[in-house]
This record gives sequence, C-alpha cells and structure tokens, in this order.
Amino acid sequence: MKWLALASLLLLATGCAHQTTQAAGRRLIVLGIDGMDPGFLESHWQALPNLNRLRQQGDFRRLATTVPPQSPVAWSTVATGLDPGGHGIFDFIHRDPVTRQPISSMAEATPPSHSLHIGPYLIPLTSGSVQAMRSGRTFWQILAERRIPATVIRIPANFPPAECEAESLAGMGTPDLTGTFGTFSFYTDDPAEKRSQVAGGHIAPIHLENGSATLQIEGPPNSLRKDQAQTAIDIRMHADPAAPVARFDLPDEQFVLRQGEWSDWQRADFRLIPGLKSVSGIFRIYLQQVHPHVRVYVSPVNIDPADPAMPISTPSGFSRTLTGKLGSFYTQGIAEETSAFRAGILSKDEFLAQSRKVLTDNLRMFHYELGRFSSGLLFYYFSSIDQNSHMLWGRYEEDLLDIYRQVDQAIGDAMRQPDTELMILSDHGFARFDRAVHLNTWLMKEGLLTLDDASNTGDTEGFAHVNWDKTQAYALGLNGIYLNLYGRESGGVVSLADKQDLLDQISAKLLEFRDPATGEHVVDKVYFAEKTYQGRNLKHAPDLIVGFRRGYRASWQTALGAVPAAAIDDNTQAWIGDHCMAADEVPGVLLSNRKFRATQPQMVDVPATILSEFGVPRAAGMLGQTVF
Amino acid sequence: MDSFNALINAGLRAIAAAFSWGPPALSLAVFAVLAGSGMIWAFRKTSDQAKLQAVKRKLYAYLLELRVYSDEPSITWRTQVSLLRANLRYLGLALRPAVWIAAPLALLMIHLESFYSRQPLALDSDTVVTMRLRSPVDGAAPDLTLPPGVELTAPPVRIVSRSEISWRIRPRQAVSGELQFRLGGQTVSMPIEARRDAHFIPGRRVNSALAVLWHPDSPRVAASAVDWIDVRYPDSAISVFGLEINWIVWFLIVAMLAGLALKKPMKVVL
Repeated sequence: MKWLALASLLLLATGCAHQTTQAAGRRLIVLGIDGMDPGFLESHWQALPNLNRLRQQGDFRRLATTVPPQSPVAWSTVATGLDPGGHGIFDFIHRDPVTRQPISSMAEATPPSHSLHIGPYLIPLTSGSVQAMRSGRTFWQILAERRIPATVIRIPANFPPAECEAESLAGMGTPDLTGTFGTFSFYTDDPAEKRSQVAGGHIAPIHLENGSATLQIEGPPNSLRKDQAQTAIDIRMHADPAAPVARFDLPDEQFVLRQGEWSDWQRADFRLIPGLKSVSGIFRIYLQQVHPHVRVYVSPVNIDPADPAMPISTPSGFSRTLTGKLGSFYTQGIAEETSAFRAGILSKDEFLAQSRKVLTDNLRMFHYELGRFSSGLLFYYFSSIDQNSHMLWGRYEEDLLDIYRQVDQAIGDAMRQPDTELMILSDHGFARFDRAVHLNTWLMKEGLLTLDDASNTGDTEGFAHVNWDKTQAYALGLNGIYLNLYGRESGGVVSLADKQDLLDQISAKLLEFRDPATGEHVVDKVYFAEKTYQGRNLKHAPDLIVGFRRGYRASWQTALGAVPAAAIDDNTQAWIGDHCMAADEVPGVLLSNRKFRATQPQMVDVPATILSEFGVPRAAGMLGQTVF
Repeated sequence: MDSFNALINAGLRAIAAAFSWGPPALSLAVFAVLAGSGMIWAFRKTSDQAKLQAVKRKLYAYLLELRVYSDEPSITWRTQVSLLRANLRYLGLALRPAVWIAAPLALLMIHLESFYSRQPLALDSDTVVTMRLRSPVDGAAPDLTLPPGVELTAPPVRIVSRSEISWRIRPRQAVSGELQFRLGGQTVSMPIEARRDAHFIPGRRVNSALAVLWHPDSPRVAASAVDWIDVRYPDSAISVFGLEINWIVWFLIVAMLAGLALKKPMKVVL
C-alpha cells in the first residue's frame, strides 16, 4: 500500500513537472481581431504585408463561427470552450420570459438587499453587485490556476471580469457610467434639430447668452437616492463671437477647442452624496460647429479606469496601473461612435476620425503590453475592424482597408517578438446589410403574432401592442424567435406538446420566405436550439435561430420587439455591413506562424489549443481540440 | 506692495535654490521647520505663559478629579462644567498668539503656492492662457507674442459674458520666458515656465492692490485695461515616501512636528 501511494505521488510529480517544463518560458500571443473577414483578406493580401507573410510562413484558415455569429456569443465560446448552450450567451440581447422585454445578455446588476432610509437618501447596508451572465471557466482562469502567467486585454463578454489572478481588462459588454452600452450627448442651439432622443444618445437644446451656454452632462442614476435622480455635471461653453473656436470650463479643468477638434479625456466626479460620495467618469468633447449654430458632441461617459465605479479589471488595481502608464483610455466595451453616425450627428469622416482615436488608444495599450510581455500568454483584442466594417463594408473599401492596414502593422509588431507563437483569430466575417427583415411583422403576416389592433403597426418597441393571448411566437434580438410557451412565458399559449410541430412549421415557412422586392430567399438556415447546442444551459436560448442569407438581417426594430408595417425594408441607415446571418455565410479567420493540422477549425478549438500549448488539459465539458 | 512681495519671493527663492539638489519635499520641509520654529517663538512672545501654565494645571486637575470621583455623579457633573470653562479659558489665551501667527503664516503659504502647488507646463501639451479685461471685450483680441519654443495652437477665444480672452498655447521645448500681450498701445508680460527643473512658477498676475495679496508671485499689471492674466499650470503634488500628497499637508505636518520638538528647548507652554 505504501509503495502504491509512493508510486502515485511520483506519477503526479512527474505529470506536474512535465506540465511545468512545457509551460516554462513558453510565449504565446493570441490576437482577437473582431470581424476580420477571410474574403477581404484574400482580396487584399498585397496591401497587408504582415498578414500575408504570416500566412506564407505559417497558415491561414477560415474559422467556423458560432450559431448565431454574434460577437458576445462567439467570444464567450473562445473564452470557455463551450458552445452557447454551455456558456449561456445567445445574443447581444436576451429576453425576460415574464415580461418579454429585452435584457442585456452579458451582465446583470443586483441592488443591495438592505438599505437604511435617511431623508431622500438610501444608505446601503449590504453591497450590491454586478454579475457576468456567462457560465463556464475561462482559459485564463485555468492557466492562472496552474501559475502560468496570462494577460487578457479586452476580450468581449468578460464584464465584470472573471475572478482570477491573471491580469485582465474587460472588453465588449462593459457599460458606460450610465449603465448602457454607450449613450452620447449632443448639444445644439439649432432650432432645426427637433429630436431629443435617438438610438444610443440624447440631444439637448442649449441657449446661448453672450456666446456662453451650460451643457449638462448626465452621469449615472443616483443609487443612493430614493428617487434615483440622474446625476449630472455642468460644463460652461464660451464661443468666440466670430471665430470657430470655443472655451470649455469644467469644475477643475479648462480647455480650448477649434471647430472640428476633440478634447483630451476629461475627468468628472458625479456626486451621489455631496462631500461624501461620488463616482468618477471620463469623457471627450467634440466641437463640431460654432457658427451659425453651436453643435457639441460629448462621448458616452466612460468608467474612469483610474477610479473604476464598477469592476473592470483583475486584479482590481490593474486598470489603475494601466492609467498610470498610459493615461486615460476607453473603458466602454464598444467605443466607436457608431450610434452618432447612424443618427446623422457625426459624418462619416467624423466617425472615422473618432474611430482612429479608439484604435490609437488601443494600439498604445497593445504596444505597452507587448513591451512588458515576457512569458506565458498575451491575449489582445481589437474592435476597430468590426465596428468600421459595420459602417463601411461594401461601400468605402479604401477607408476600411486603412483600418486593416493599421491592425496589420500591429500584427507585424507581434511577429517581431522572438521565440513566440502567434495566433490571430476573428469571431466572424462580414457581409452587406441591404435589407432589414422585420421578423415580428413576418410572424404577424403568417398568423403567428397578433396585435391588439391590426392598424397598430409601427416602430414602438417592447411589443407594446401585441395581444399575447393570440400570439404563438415572437422575435427579439438579432437572430432569435421564441415561442410563447405555456409555463415558461408569462401567459404563454403554446403547449409543450405542440412545441415541436410549431417550430417545424415556422422553420419551413422561414425557409420559403422570399423577398417581395427581389424574389430571393431571405433565410438560408434555421437552427433549432435544442438540436444545435450541446450544452444544456438553454435558459435564455431562443427556440429558433434564424440564419439569414447574405444581405439580409433582422431589423433594429425586431431586436427590441417592434412590429412595423412591412416585413422587409431597405436598410437606409449608415450601418451597412453585418454578420448576424447564417453562420456558414460569415466565417472568421485563423492564422498562425505555425502550420495547422485541423482543416476545418472552429471557435471551440481556440481555447483547447491555447491550453494545449501550455500542456494544460481541457477542463471538463470543454469542446474542441488543438488545431496544431 | 510689489517691492515687499519681491523681497519675500527673493528670500524664498534663495532657500529653495539652496536645497534644489533634493526633492521638493526637502526644501518644503526646510520651510516648514523654519515656520514651525517661528510659530513657537511667536507663541511664546505673544501669549501669557504664566496664565497658560495655570490653566493647563487646572485642566490636569479636573481630569484627575473625573477619574477619582467617577462614581460620584454630582462631582463628575461639576467637574465637567469646570473642565469646559478651563478649556474655553485655554482657547481664549491661545487666541492672541494664533492671531499673531496667522497673518505671517498665511502670507508665507500664499507665497509657497508658487513653489509647490503648480507644475511647469508639459512639453507638447496644450494649456490655456486667459486675460480678463476691466471693460467689455469688443473688437479684436490683443496681440500675443510668444517666446521661442511656444506655439499658439488655436485662435483666441473672446468671451463676451466674462470680458475674458483665452489663448491655447503649446510649449515645444523647455522655456522660461514671457508672453507679451499688446493692447491699447501698452505691452503687458506674463512669465511662463516649461522647464522640468522649474521651482518657482508664478500664478495669476493681477492688477488690483487687494488681489495682489492673494497673488503675490508677480508684480501688478501696469496696464489699466487688464484685470488679470492667468496661465493654467497643471497641479502638483509632493512625493513623500512614495505617497503623492498635497504640499500643504506635508508643510503642516513638518511645521507641527518642528514646533513640538522645539517646545521644551525653547521652554514654551502650549
């Protein structure tokens, strides 16, 4: 027995030693380039010398993406090695089955359970929290447990960041300080601007007196007040009477901007209890125009990385260290100002200028991380190609190529690292988004969704006019259709016995669905959640995932539960490229400075490969295998 | 007033220069030790030491009484009242020296602002220079001549509602010079520092005789049309044992410690 115990110990020690040996000094850089498209690369190899050299020296493959091919879904798979059924993220947006209203798929905030009421204030006695909705252990948690150094910067769907000893900074899914994915503010004295609210922002009228006006910048709702009143700070703007230039006075700062200039990061404290408690945010101001009317754009107020109001890094002081080294930086998950471009507030050139600032910010941090990388894993994520592809795809190729070129240079810098394995991957490719499909309208026309009054179609969100007693299915998010299921949805009408027949029926109809303008099929594939996903974490899964053909995508109205009049419209918005289609239509890319053995690599293979490179076995439940 | 301020400034600059080989916390500690010594000396000279000693003895006696008769409520209550009275008496006796000390200490601290509260302008970073006029802004902005190595990076902003004009400037190289403003046939200058080793960074330059008490770093503006001129320097902090703290905190801590340390040798009752 003693010998058996000794032998077991020896075996264990040998195994550990083998692992340590394999991991010791190994250097692996993984660059996650959201939205890098294989077709675009193939058309532009000559313009992208580093990527071209990488595929010639190593390898290049299409990387099969997830169902649906959305970034939070795909990157959650990369992080955990689980399919959506395992990690539980199926869309940017999930729905609350009780209210059928959209909720964020990535994080959930819980208020304190006990508070003390003092006058207008609520003093929390227990702490509130923010929880990530993603299940499963991430590859960097597994590496950290084995004491393998890992730095993971901005990987999506990692807010709040997974607890571990590895250094990580949250990426896509990190809200702004107001808790949204990014709400900009726009101030003007132009009487022609009648709007007050647009998707992703609000527009405030200002009144100039002797060339001066106050801009009120909104912060988070005051969680320490009973009325949750919005916090705000005032900025005074002083415009020159004739020249296109203005001065901005903040509580502790003052700066001058010429027309067409962006300010540096500005820090502001939003007071929760005067003199006692405040939260810090950072933002940038863009002076779009001074005469004849003032037009001032203020970016969403980002969480201040020097004093984060919510957890955005592990260890918690890591974001502060980065600020000390690099100055303030974008912490909002999706920092490119696509909403303002879509709303017509920023022009294409202005959007591109801001987008370049995001990329510059990101490249500065990348080079800092590259400079201090000594061993283990460095994972770095770039959002710029994805966000720019949404706004430029198929129409402004040179502008998009310029972004690809900048990322290509960063890849070149990574390739110059000695004795380092390099993997580049993207979560999906891109396609044109020409026609917007109103799935709820289509369901209504098929008799599966009923309004309280047939004339109540329109862009009102949140299923405002849906008669749930007569509705069998509804669409929410960018690819999902849900049954109004008895026992799951509040007041659901479809029985469990009828579920499969109804799903088959909807699927068949979707595959027959033709665009009335062109006669083309709209849907390429329909995926059944229970058959598509291996994991059983299907709480938030749509019953059907609609795989649109290239050129088609669920409309913005569908995503938030609106039922417009027509089933399909032309996409007239500035958002002209997308990937929320059938997974086969928009694969990602995988490149490395080594040859791949896998001929058809998939997203789930990425974490398995990373762990394998450090000699670490896959965690239980992880799918995929090494691509080498 | 300008000569008086210039005299104080010259003295402070000489001390700061003597300790410029060390970190700013060192020269500030020297100022604080001098201030602490001065305060303790002034306290002795301006207070009634005998009465203070008597009140302190009473305070100790009352405290002892509280401990001894803690189970006698009526005595405890009476002692509390006596203790309060003695405390008020002590504060009354300390008021006169406090008043004597406050003025020179405030003057010293206002002067020290220029040495420790501001950093020189960072190279290749913008900053705002503002001039406030005594009359409404109308017509063109004054001409601004910059020293070599400093650029104007935006046109001047005339702020009608405040009678101010702001310029955005950017030092491209180390500079210790003057901005020259030309208005109404007069030339007004404002010092500017963009050197890493600068110890003295003048703040707002003012016109009014009252305002110069708070802004004593530069002589008053001679031009009658100008109320003040201001260069926005970045705020500075003092590094002490790796901690970044406001210079006033460090100054007061060292001054207090110096005062306490000198209490016995100088035979001062505090």
